[in-house]
Amino acid sequence: MFFVKEMERTIQLHPSYFGPQIRQHLHRELLTKVEGQNMGQYIIVCILDAFDISDGVVMPGSGHAEYIIHYKAIVWKPFKGEIVDGEVTSVIRAGFFLDVGAMRAFVARSSIPADMKYDANATPPQWTDNADQVIEKGTQVRFKIIGVRTEVAEMFAVGSIKEDYLGAITSL
Amino acid sequence: MKINSPNGLHYPITVVELAKQPNDDVKRRAPLFTYFYETEVTEGNKYGDEVKVKKKLPARFESPVEGTLAEWYIKNGSVIERAGLEIAEIEEPCTHETQWGGLCTDCGKDMTQVDYATQERDSDRATVKMTHTSASLLVSRNEALRAEEDSRRRLLGDKKLSLIVDLDQTVIHTTCERTIAEWQADPNNPNYNAVKDVHSFQLADDRMANVPSNWYYVKVRPGTKEFLERVSTMYELHVYTMATRAYAQAIAKIIDPDRRYFADRILSRDENGTDQIKSLHRLFPTNTDMVVIIDDRADVWHYSDNLIRVKAYNFFLGAGDINASFLPKQVELIEPVQQATTTEPPKHQEVSPQEGTPSDTLTDLEQQLLSMSSADKPEVLEQQVKEQEKIIISQQTERPLLQKQLLLDKEDEAREEATAENGEAQPVEQHKQRHSLLHDDDNELEYVETALRRIHRAFYDEYQKKKAGPQVGRIAELKGEKSPKKRNREEFVPDVKVIMPRMKRSVLSGVSVVFSGIIPLGLDIQFSDIALWAKSFGVQVTADIHKQTTHLVANPGRKTNKVKKAARHSLKIVTVHWLYECFSKWERVSEDPYLIEVDPEHGLHASSGDPYEELDDGPLLSGEDDDIEDIGGDVQIDISADKWDSIGDEFDDFMNETDDDNDNDTDNNDTNSDSESVRSDDSAQTTDSQKQSAKKRKRATASTGSASNSEAEDSDSSVKSTGSRLQRKKKRVFERVTSLSNVMTADKSSGLPSPDTTGPEEEQEKGEAEVDEDDDDLEAQMLAELERQSDEDDGE
Repeated sequence: MFFVKEMERTIQLHPSYFGPQIRQHLHRELLTKVEGQNMGQYIIVCILDAFDISDGVVMPGSGHAEYIIHYKAIVWKPFKGEIVDGEVTSVIRAGFFLDVGAMRAFVARSSIPADMKYDANATPPQWTDNADQVIEKGTQVRFKIIGVRTEVAEMFAVGSIKEDYLGAITSL
Repeated sequence: MKINSPNGLHYPITVVELAKQPNDDVKRRAPLFTYFYETEVTEGNKYGDEVKVKKKLPARFESPVEGTLAEWYIKNGSVIERAGLEIAEIEEPCTHETQWGGLCTDCGKDMTQVDYATQERDSDRATVKMTHTSASLLVSRNEALRAEEDSRRRLLGDKKLSLIVDLDQTVIHTTCERTIAEWQADPNNPNYNAVKDVHSFQLADDRMANVPSNWYYVKVRPGTKEFLERVSTMYELHVYTMATRAYAQAIAKIIDPDRRYFADRILSRDENGTDQIKSLHRLFPTNTDMVVIIDDRADVWHYSDNLIRVKAYNFFLGAGDINASFLPKQVELIEPVQQATTTEPPKHQEVSPQEGTPSDTLTDLEQQLLSMSSADKPEVLEQQVKEQEKIIISQQTERPLLQKQLLLDKEDEAREEATAENGEAQPVEQHKQRHSLLHDDDNELEYVETALRRIHRAFYDEYQKKKAGPQVGRIAELKGEKSPKKRNREEFVPDVKVIMPRMKRSVLSGVSVVFSGIIPLGLDIQFSDIALWAKSFGVQVTADIHKQTTHLVANPGRKTNKVKKAARHSLKIVTVHWLYECFSKWERVSEDPYLIEVDPEHGLHASSGDPYEELDDGPLLSGEDDDIEDIGGDVQIDISADKWDSIGDEFDDFMNETDDDNDNDTDNNDTNSDSESVRSDDSAQTTDSQKQSAKKRKRATASTGSASNSEAEDSDSSVKSTGSRLQRKKKRVFERVTSLSNVMTADKSSGLPSPDTTGPEEEQEKGEAEVDEDDDDLEAQMLAELERQSDEDDGE
């Protein structure tokens, strides 16, 4: 799910950046360092434009200037039970892997409807019910998250497509 | 899941009351029953004394798992005496058989969580890696069995087997030298035809941060496309490589652009788990009956019975396997002089051998340490990564291929000039006939395909035969209670591990082989790579010639005692290429093209009452001696010119001290090269410490080692020889000098400081010292030896 979250970040700026364009530097620094970052529990998707930069304080000893920036960002946090869309990256006998933005997910064969079968001889390999549903590498799939786990900078999710209206998205 | 009484309770415990009845739902950490136990506690009374009192203490037993209680094995009032006894059976809704990224893929629970009630970690339930792509997908043993059963049935239905294909030096050869790009761009280059279809790519996430934009040049082995096309009808193809994932995928894109043959079945170093060996069980955890492997290295597979060993594809001469630094070092054979394009064998010699194989730059000690320690240690890994970096940098900067081509060109020019002097100069045309360094004439894959075809046919013939007459009774005994139908089929399936060795052994059965001048000294012959390979084809390998011996595999251009003996017994003396040819074709090829001409005269001469004939096998020369003598000619020494000078000076000093013959000076190089080469062969065993002690021993009492004997003989014989013999000796010396100077130039081209260049110097000193001492001691024996030597010269 997406949220707008208020956050704060401390940025230290090298003295060589001091000058009339100092705000642009801070701006850029924030965008490059923060956007897309995986914070463990959530992923920072996008920083909203309005943010508030504190006055700089020169650090004793190093000459760096320290700024504290308050900003709002759109973050994304997956929840158990949430329905999300992802793109299939790899199809194996045990199920298939998906990318949901920065999160990786896996749908096991036990969570795939029984009428869908794994076809190893197809190129590329696919899960198919021999009708309109074909899941192969690159397919967009809608699935339900049944478990989420986060490590330091990685998120894992396990999903299921064993419910109505889940599975390959045929018409976007 | 059965709940057993855990460790860490205060046994014996007495059950008071069961809190749940069968068919009740049990939550994790919910109380299952209450019990009490007896223990001694220290209590203080109101007077401040401490008294030990026996007490009965009540406690609760909490469920370690969630599920439905199926059955109690205890009742109210029972006493549990010790840990490990059954308490209850709880049926779990999910047994977490497949786990990914620490999550159960079926129920989505976190498998890594551990608390006080945990008896067995959930993550231990699934430990088998089964998939190519993701090492983090783990399955339980049962699940692995099921999966394999599935794929087995699918393969049997399709009449296919599994084939694991190695990449580097099996179906492709890669180098990082940008010379290739230049040659590709220049149609006039003699190598243009060979390199015009070389693919190149860059890897985005290259680990070598300090090697900017590294290009890989990939030559696909001739016939690979057709090979894959045809073989994929009989086999399901897998890739198993020691390269990185990105590299493997780039290669797969080249050899299988439509992903028709390999699809996602690519396993690389990143998923392998270890860098040292390749394991069939990584991909086929329980059953390897239907798997065939093709690889150029047998050692990484522990000489598996499933392996078809392929002759290494070495297109970019000297490039070796850029991913081999992660594998244990391969023990190389003494490289026999290869037949090829150039006319002068000594010059060709430094063009063809596989120098610069990555691990050569390591000293032996380091190498041993490397192979001893497990690869999972970070420091070893780091070193291996550095090693690989080094190779790639050296390929980029030194461009050994370019150097070699320049050498070849020079030779051509020399010949051109020679013809020009003869008057028929056509420089333009001649220029086009420059010899090319790279040759596109490999047809190994055809033989591999034939072998694969034969295995496939044998396998399915046997399968059909067995299927026709099933032995149901025995099967019923053997199978478990689960899924009897599946197990039944399993019994019928023949085993590649049985079929293949049987086919291979019949190829050269009855052949008994003795190696001479092939296997480096100090290696156990029986466990050397070539011997193991030969044995897998039914060849008997023995150390010495005896009655059963049928072939002698020798190094051409070397007359060992074994060769003489074999000639006397009129055995077939062949080059090692005969064996290789048999290995790759899986049939006994005619020996004729590989026979080594041995002068029959010599054999006769030797047996016709030569008084010193017995010396050949006599006490002067130990059994190994014949090998030592011969090695001198071919082995390379990297010693730069200034080092030779310093060695020469040192040697002069020696000569002055001992007031020896001046002739020794001319022999200087000869002796050194002999001692050096012997040492370098021994070096497989020599550790640094030994080298140092050798230095200390300099000028100590003469060692009785046979090596020094033979050196001394060499030098001394020429000192004392009369006119014609002296000339002949000098000629030999001269030849060796030239070959050495060639090596020198090759060495200059490698800018890296090689550890070897410091090592040999010390050894030479030792060699000199020993020669010096031996001169005096062994003079009488030398005279006799001199005669023998001259006989040998006649033979040559």
